[in-house]
Amino acid sequence: MVHTLLLSVVSEPLADAPRPAASADAELVAQLQQGREQAFRTLVERYQNRVYRTVLALLHSREEAEDVAQEVFVEVYQTVGRFRGDAALSTWLYRLATSRALKHRRWARAKKRFASFTSLLGFDNHVLHDPPDHAHPQAQLEGQQQLRLLLEQVARLPDQQQVAFTLRHEQELSYEEIAAVLNTTVPAVESLLFRARQTLRKHLQAPLPHA
Amino acid sequence: MPDPAKYSGADEEWEDLLRQWRAQSAAQPRPFFYNRVYARLVDATSEKPAWLPTWLRWPAYLAMSGMLVLALSGDGASLPSAGRTTPYESPTDGPQPALPTR
Repeated sequence: MVHTLLLSVVSEPLADAPRPAASADAELVAQLQQGREQAFRTLVERYQNRVYRTVLALLHSREEAEDVAQEVFVEVYQTVGRFRGDAALSTWLYRLATSRALKHRRWARAKKRFASFTSLLGFDNHVLHDPPDHAHPQAQLEGQQQLRLLLEQVARLPDQQQVAFTLRHEQELSYEEIAAVLNTTVPAVESLLFRARQTLRKHLQAPLPHA
Repeated sequence: MPDPAKYSGADEEWEDLLRQWRAQSAAQPRPFFYNRVYARLVDATSEKPAWLPTWLRWPAYLAMSGMLVLALSGDGASLPSAGRTTPYESPTDGPQPALPTR
């Protein structure tokens, strides 16, 4: 019964924010491929919030999110010539944003581990400060305990589940769009989301008061 | 038997939490984001490309190293030593003196 409820909730369509028409994006790509700077400006302004929020949801740091978002747009400009239009422009952007965010996070974790190691060996005299509070800024500002817990638990999910969950619940993408971003099938996305929700609900069950 | 009211309540709270996340995720990059992206793009494209690709430089390095080793080894027949005597100073040059006869 719980499974049925979960699946029914997951399958509930979310109200999509207004998205640019595919033809408008195709035109934009064509102009970008001609190297028009105005087209690049339009692209950035059209997608900057979505790219930034997606990366922020994965990295939990405004500075790092902005840095990675900039990298995403630079990469788009540099590689748009190879974009064949097999996927939607937004799909390509989400793909770049999530893969770069995950890559950045792996790099940051490796750097942190290396810093801890060299500090232990006494190779440097830097004091290891406490890691910055990576709580999502919105949670910090609002001081919402439950939301903070949720975001902490989302950050602990496996990469694929985390990306799927973020794209679904933060970006409100459809299953088909998520499948395209992750280069997988809709049933696989359903499975990822189901497992993510199971894990999250299990961890959040204790603080959640039940009726 | 599970209490349906319990699960429906938990589901509502869960959905409320997700709605809260969506409703409040209004984070935006700092103003003038495009200017910073553009500056970064200019930096990235203005980096001068190397005059030779890296993979092409390795054989050159190898050849140079080989020549250096050959020169330092002193076995190079084509590289005359600086301390070697010139041909006209060589005792072997010129007519050989006649052997003394008894």
